[in-house]
Amino acid sequence: MSAVELVRLALSRLRRGRVRAALTMLGVIIGVASVVGLVSVGRGTTARITQQLSSLGTNLLTVSPTGGGGSTSTLTLEDATAIAALPGLAAVAPEIQTQAVVATSTSNTTTTSVVGTSADYLTVRAYEVWQGAFLSPVAVGQGLRQVVLGATVATNLGLGAEAIGSQVTIGGLPFQVIGILQPKGGAGFANPDDEVLVPLGVVRKYFVGGDGIRTVGVSVADGYDMQTARDSIAQLLRVRHGIGATATDDFQIFDQTQLLAAASTISGTLTLLLGGIASIALIVGGIGIMNIMLVSVRERTREIGIRKALGARGRDILSQFLIEALTLSLIGGLIGVLVGLVVSAIIGRIAGWGFIFDPNTIAVATVFSLAVGIVFGVWPARQAARLDPVIALRYE
Amino acid sequence: MSLLRLEHIGRTYDMGHVQVQALHDVSMSVERGEMVAILGPSGSGKTTMMSIIGCLDRPTHGRYELDGTDVGSLNDGALARIRSRTIGFVFQSYNLLPGTSAVDNVATPLLYQGVPRRERVKRATIELERLGLGHRLRHEPTELSGGEQQRVALARALVTQPALLLADEPTGNLAVHQGLEVLKLFQDLHAAGHTIVLITHNPEVGAVAQRQVHLLDGVVVDAELAA
Repeated sequence: MSAVELVRLALSRLRRGRVRAALTMLGVIIGVASVVGLVSVGRGTTARITQQLSSLGTNLLTVSPTGGGGSTSTLTLEDATAIAALPGLAAVAPEIQTQAVVATSTSNTTTTSVVGTSADYLTVRAYEVWQGAFLSPVAVGQGLRQVVLGATVATNLGLGAEAIGSQVTIGGLPFQVIGILQPKGGAGFANPDDEVLVPLGVVRKYFVGGDGIRTVGVSVADGYDMQTARDSIAQLLRVRHGIGATATDDFQIFDQTQLLAAASTISGTLTLLLGGIASIALIVGGIGIMNIMLVSVRERTREIGIRKALGARGRDILSQFLIEALTLSLIGGLIGVLVGLVVSAIIGRIAGWGFIFDPNTIAVATVFSLAVGIVFGVWPARQAARLDPVIALRYE
Repeated sequence: MSLLRLEHIGRTYDMGHVQVQALHDVSMSVERGEMVAILGPSGSGKTTMMSIIGCLDRPTHGRYELDGTDVGSLNDGALARIRSRTIGFVFQSYNLLPGTSAVDNVATPLLYQGVPRRERVKRATIELERLGLGHRLRHEPTELSGGEQQRVALARALVTQPALLLADEPTGNLAVHQGLEVLKLFQDLHAAGHTIVLITHNPEVGAVAQRQVHLLDGVVVDAELAA
C-alpha cells in the first residue's frame, strides 16, 4: 500500500472520531507549543543579554588585582600610567570605588557607588553624556570636586537638566554637578547607571586611602587585536610586579567578549533546559497517543480480522496503525507549532524583544512530534499486525 | 485438476493443559466450477474447516493444496497474498467495515492488491450495480438492511474475481425471504462458472449445492450417518 493510500485511510478514520482525535492531539499540541514557546523565550532572553552586554563596550579589557581592590590592591596608579603608554590602546581609565550617600540641597539622598576615575572613563565604558559635560583631564589632574551623575542617581535625586552647575554633597563633602549621563539600561546583574563619577584623586584623598586601585579599564584602539593588547598588558604588569616566569599573576585581565561568550553559553543552556522541560509535555502527549492507539486496536480487532481475510498482510495493518498514530502526532505537532508561534509572539511583544522566528525550532518540533508518533505508535501497531485473523474475526 | 484438495487434514488447538482436536483426518477435494456444501452441526469443525480452506489458518497435519499450491508450507505474507488473489469470503455476520461506505467496503480487497483508487472505485461500483445496489453506493453498513449488507459482502468477495468463493453461513443472520434471495444469487454465480464452497449447519441451505460433505466431530461422514 502506498503512503498516500495509508494517509487517506488514516484521515478518514480520524474524521470519524473527531472528538477523540482532537483530544489525543491536544497532548501533542500542548507539548509542541511549549517547546516552541519556551525556546523562543530562551532565545529572546539570550538576544537581550547579548545586546546589553555589547552596549558595555566590546573592545573593553578590564585589568584588576586578583586579591581584590581597595587599599591593599597590588594594582597601582603607576601601573595604569604605564599601561596607558603601551601602543594600540585608545583609552585607559583607572577606577577606584567606594559607597557613599549623595544628597541634594533639597535633602534628597541616595546611596550609590562613587567611582574615582579619569576623563577616559567615558570612552572606556562606552557612556554618553546626556546633559553638561564629563570630567575634563584638567579637573582630574587638579582633583576638582566635580561630579558626573549616572542616570539612575539623577532620577533618584530628582535632578534634571537644570541641575547642571548645582551642588550636591557626597559623604558630606560638597561637589559641583557638571554632567548627567545617558542611561544604558540594566544588564541584569548590575545597574550601570547607578553610580557617580568624580576625579580619581578626590576619592583617594577623601574616601579611600592607600595606593591601590580597583580596576583599570582599557579600551583597545580600532584595528588592534584584543589578544595582542591583553598579552602586552600582562607582560608589562608581570615585569612591573616582578613576577617570575613560573609564578602566578597577581592580576587578571578580563575581556568583555569572554563575558559575552559566557553569558550566551549560560542562556543557551537555559534555552536547552526550557526546551527539555517542555519536551516532557511532548512525551506525555505521546503516551496519550499510545494509549488511544492501544484502545483503538482492541476496539477494532474485528476490523483487523476482516482486513486480513480480505488480503491485508501484517505489514499493511502495521503501516495503517502506524500512519494513523503519525498523522495524529504530526497534525498535533503542526497545530502546536502555530500555537507556539502565536504564544511566543505575544510574549515577545510583552517582554519587548519582538517576535523571534526560528525555523530550526519549528523543524526540530516537527521532527520531534513525528518521532513521538513513531515511538509511541509502533507498539500498538505491532499488536494489531500480529493478531491472528481467525481469533480476530471471532472477536466481539 | 481440482481447485482445492485436502489430504488427511488435522487441526489441533493447544489450549495449555488440553489439546483440542477440531479436525481429525479430513480428505476432500473440490473441482473447478463445482458448488459444494460443507454441512455439520455446531462443534463439528466447520469453522476450522473454513479457516483452513480460507487460508486464515494452517493445518497441523496433512496437506492442503489450493490452485496447485501447497498452502501448509507458506508464511503469513504468502497466505495473505493467496487470500487476496484467490479467495473471496462471505461471512455469516457480513463483516463489513464499520463507518465505511458500501463502495469503499467493496473496494477494500483491491486496495490490498495495490489497485489504484480510481480503478478500485470503478470496479466496486460495477460489482455493486451487478448485485442491484447501484443506489446504495455511498451508504454505510448501518444504513443498509441485512439482505443489502450481505449483498455488499458478496460484491466484496467477487470484486477480485477469486477462483474460490467461500461462504460461512451466508444466510444465518437473514430473514427467510432474504436468505432465499442470497441463495439464489449463489446459484446464479455457480451457473456463471464460479467455484463455491458453502459452509452451513442447515441442510436446506446445503441442498442448493451440487454436492454435500457432511462433517461430524471433525471427520467427514456419510450423509446417512450425519442425518
